[in-house]
Amino acid sequence: MIKRVEVNYRGVFQKNLGKYIGGDIVQIASRMGKVAFSNGRYSDAPERNGIPCKYFAFVSPDLSEEELEAECGAKLDIDEADVSVVVDDAMVKGVEPWGWHGVRAINEKVREKGCLLVTSQHSHDQLLKFIPKRPFSWRLATVDSPASLAGLWVYKDDLTREHVLGAIAAADPGIISIEAVEAYLLEKTKEKHRAEAARAAYDATLRTIRVVKPNEGAEWHHEIPRLPTWKEFESGGVVVPAVPRGFKMGPRGQNRNEQFLRGTTKSQRPVIRFDLCIKCTLCWYDCPDECFDPTDDGLFDVNYEACVGCHKCADVCPVPECIVMVDELKFDSDASPWEHHKKDPEGYIKWAEEKKGLERLHFPHVTGLGREIRQGKYVPPKQDKSGAGAAPKA
Amino acid sequence: MATVAERTNVWAKEVLLNGCQAVAQGVKLANVDVIAAYPIRPYTEVMDALSKLIADGEFDSEYIVADSEHSQFEIVKHASSVGARAFGGSSGTGWMYGFEALVVTATDRLPPLFVVGNRALDDPGAFGVEHNDALALRDMGWLLCWASTAQEALEHVLIGYRIAEDSRVLMPMALAMDGAFLTHSQHMIKVPTQEAVNKFLPPFNLGKRVLHPDNPVSIAPQVNEDWVMELRRQNWEAARRARQVIPEVYKSFNDLFGPRYANPFFDEFMCEDAEVVLVGLGAVKMPAQTAVRRMREQGKKVGYVNLRWFRPFPTEQLRETLGRMKGVGVIDRNFAHGSPDNGGIVVQDIRSALYPLTKRPVVTDFIGGLGGRDMSIQDCIRMLEITFDAASGKQGDELVTWIGLRE
Amino acid sequence: MATQLPVIDYEKIKKVHDAPLEEFYTSGHRTCQGCESAMVMRDFAKASGPRTVVTGATGCMYVANTSYLTTPWIVPWMHTQLGAGGASAVGMAAGLRALMRKGRIKKEKINVINFSGDLGAGDMGLSGVSGALQTDYDLLIILYDNESAANTDIQATGLTTYGAQTTFTPPGSKHRIMQRRWKKNVAAMLAVGHPTCRYVATASATFPALDFMNKTRKALSIGGPTFIHTFDPCPKGWDFHPRYAHELGELGVKSGIFPLYEIIDGQVVYTYDARQKGRIPVREYLEKQGRFAHLVDEDVDYIQSMVDTMWNEWDIPGVAPFKAGLSVAG
Repeated sequence: MIKRVEVNYRGVFQKNLGKYIGGDIVQIASRMGKVAFSNGRYSDAPERNGIPCKYFAFVSPDLSEEELEAECGAKLDIDEADVSVVVDDAMVKGVEPWGWHGVRAINEKVREKGCLLVTSQHSHDQLLKFIPKRPFSWRLATVDSPASLAGLWVYKDDLTREHVLGAIAAADPGIISIEAVEAYLLEKTKEKHRAEAARAAYDATLRTIRVVKPNEGAEWHHEIPRLPTWKEFESGGVVVPAVPRGFKMGPRGQNRNEQFLRGTTKSQRPVIRFDLCIKCTLCWYDCPDECFDPTDDGLFDVNYEACVGCHKCADVCPVPECIVMVDELKFDSDASPWEHHKKDPEGYIKWAEEKKGLERLHFPHVTGLGREIRQGKYVPPKQDKSGAGAAPKA
Repeated sequence: MATVAERTNVWAKEVLLNGCQAVAQGVKLANVDVIAAYPIRPYTEVMDALSKLIADGEFDSEYIVADSEHSQFEIVKHASSVGARAFGGSSGTGWMYGFEALVVTATDRLPPLFVVGNRALDDPGAFGVEHNDALALRDMGWLLCWASTAQEALEHVLIGYRIAEDSRVLMPMALAMDGAFLTHSQHMIKVPTQEAVNKFLPPFNLGKRVLHPDNPVSIAPQVNEDWVMELRRQNWEAARRARQVIPEVYKSFNDLFGPRYANPFFDEFMCEDAEVVLVGLGAVKMPAQTAVRRMREQGKKVGYVNLRWFRPFPTEQLRETLGRMKGVGVIDRNFAHGSPDNGGIVVQDIRSALYPLTKRPVVTDFIGGLGGRDMSIQDCIRMLEITFDAASGKQGDELVTWIGLRE
Repeated sequence: MATQLPVIDYEKIKKVHDAPLEEFYTSGHRTCQGCESAMVMRDFAKASGPRTVVTGATGCMYVANTSYLTTPWIVPWMHTQLGAGGASAVGMAAGLRALMRKGRIKKEKINVINFSGDLGAGDMGLSGVSGALQTDYDLLIILYDNESAANTDIQATGLTTYGAQTTFTPPGSKHRIMQRRWKKNVAAMLAVGHPTCRYVATASATFPALDFMNKTRKALSIGGPTFIHTFDPCPKGWDFHPRYAHELGELGVKSGIFPLYEIIDGQVVYTYDARQKGRIPVREYLEKQGRFAHLVDEDVDYIQSMVDTMWNEWDIPGVAPFKAGLSVAG
């Protein structure tokens, strides 16, 4: 018997977390007398901030190390997962790790009766609005906590690792048992609260884990790209066409690399109060991913398909509350916000403010050092000063 | 067969040139656009000669003195990428310094031409001829051929560019010539007219692969496991197609310049009824052919195969020629420590090519001439005798003999 | 004896509202969130425009941009080897010059640009860059400096700040500081060493706005080989939330740790003169990055003292580490 675990994580921000969880599973399983090994997905490397990545762990109670390796080793990706962990719930909208891979469903590898385990403060129903249906039943569990993000050097020790281990034990005790998790954490760290955190997550998961019925979930519209044969790019080979030159004002006026827009990198997206905008251009100017489309009225539309959620625009915008980063899971469309604003300026403001709420997620400079929720402010609508701002030249 | 006099419309003059200078004449006639130079014995004089031609206004090309071989080869590669015919060269350890660039030039499917003045690899430093430098390219998707005379070297600059730049091929070309024996020895060389060369060698045209603002492309984006195999297959295919293109080009050459090359891939010397032959690359042809003549005078049925093309390897043709023999002695002017049967590099390809034959010659190997040591006529006679012994089962288990070693 | 700066005939972008809107490096690349090196790519391509050919040396801006057979480049672009940046620029420029002279392609100004990272232009590729700056070809080499070998998941290079954590320089229980080298002063080194090179500059895509784009245009207009060294805050390697990429760019300049200047025909022109504008303490810059989290006061003081020396004692502050005033014996 082989148990396969994958950890879906945000590149760089959760690199250490993913590796620790994978490594912990191996060590705990080993202490239980099983054989186990773990590895990352090679093509994810080099990881980039926010890009969806995977880490794998394989456990067997009865095979030899050699046999387990033969089945699961020397492979680039996992065949199927008994437990698929997701440590940033925004990834349930789909993950596109590199070009030509396509946007994939977060539960693509979850086998029948397997479990998708998501750290999230959203309800199961909210998550199932995005997770596609499968033809068989599977299980959904959440660990009630926000995504734990940190950097390469300063780790965020917020017990997510311990919670996830406890939850895995609940989702599938055939991988690791909660007793073994507790014993491992105690022995390794000598800190009781870590074992207790694992146990608490274990209990919570047992209580709240839910069976998802066959064909329960969202419709899935993304196709897997067909890779060309060697003859199909014979005359080019190592030469590929550039992105065609093309620019005009307005939404999607700039030609972009259609093969890999990678909007699934984001956990938050910028919501813009066009009525407050002073047309300073800095959001457009400072975007490393060229996501803003200049429009004829001097405003800048956001192409959410291309936006990777870096927060820079929110940081450089000089007008308070004009650009605010909002949880990606509040949105089910990448339609042009500027078009929405033009068609119905009042309605757009209501929509934007409803999405924003009053809580503002704030990160310190060193990501691993904390995370806080600050209070935002509701700024009432300003009059649209069309014509007052300097329109940019094409 | 037309004489020099009858073909005066293709041959401009006959001059005294050494191998390096002959190559320089070829580069000039090929109307090369960019040359990158870096000094290393024994090929340096190619670049000396070219700079003088440019300085005297006899030849128009950009000429850059590079800071290292790696930079030198990269300059050539990138000049080629914008559609310029480009030329570089090196020897021995210098060739190895820039090896990364050489590998990438082939995987980029760019067709510049390089001359390799074969020289022993460091350490320790040694200037004499050894073939490992050029042979190191053999897996990488390069065209690789050896000149055995200075005349051949000149002509193969032209032949090389024509094959390399053919849209069915698009592989870089390494033209190897023995250091000292070819690079520095002076002979009367027939230099073709520019007009004749222009008929033979069309201008370089990279088509849709060129890097230019009118052709928006990205060349060599990063890839992962989804792509590498298909790219390798394309290069593999190009090397196979080269086997068809090469005879076409030689036919065109022969039609213009006279039937100089009966067989593009190798020359057969007294092989028609031979029982035992030696096979070699480069200048060892001279003592070897003399040895063959002498032994023929004694009634021995011997011959010599001067292998010109090493990549693409002329498998079919060699199988046919060598398959008739009782014994084949391969002269490896290179080393391949720890190889099967402890032979050099060339013997392994030859044994491999002959393996499918039901009736095969005995193949024995000779390692000699390393670091510039002579292989004399006497040595070659000895090699033929050993090959005879091998063919009649008298050699024993040792399939390799070191020639000229002080033991 | 005052000398006049040469007049460089280039299309200056005077204010952000005049910045060209069309992209020549566009969305669809696999760079980190908040990547300032991607900003450098975007800005130079935009400033240079469509009559451009680019080579990118192996590094983050190669692998992260043209990742896995897809490309965000609109201008023609080609990969070159890690240490081959300078050579690739020379090769392209020489090829184009020959083809134009021989009448095989249209005569026109084509901008020839290479970008290379720390290793590409500052370590491994230094000899090739040097060779390029001695030629008379019109070309621009951009060293985009994120202070690490970033594409290989962050190792120290010759351009890494003293004390920084990388996978090669991790703080340990025995040695707190493994990265003991002081950052190489590449731009000035190249300016000193290549007297016929007319334009060498340091720049930032972050601050001041438009600075890098205008410097790119100057370099492409002045004639001959040119070099720009950019300062690229790297959220991944430096360990800060991408949101603050702009702020860190400003802090790096305003603390004096990354001097901003141009050297035009041998004359130094400060973009940001830290002597006049004052310098904020380097601590304010260092404490915002996880790669310095292990530093103690002694380390910060050392860095501050080196930066102070750079601005207070160097003969050409921030630029050349020579101190005059030595009397010759005898």
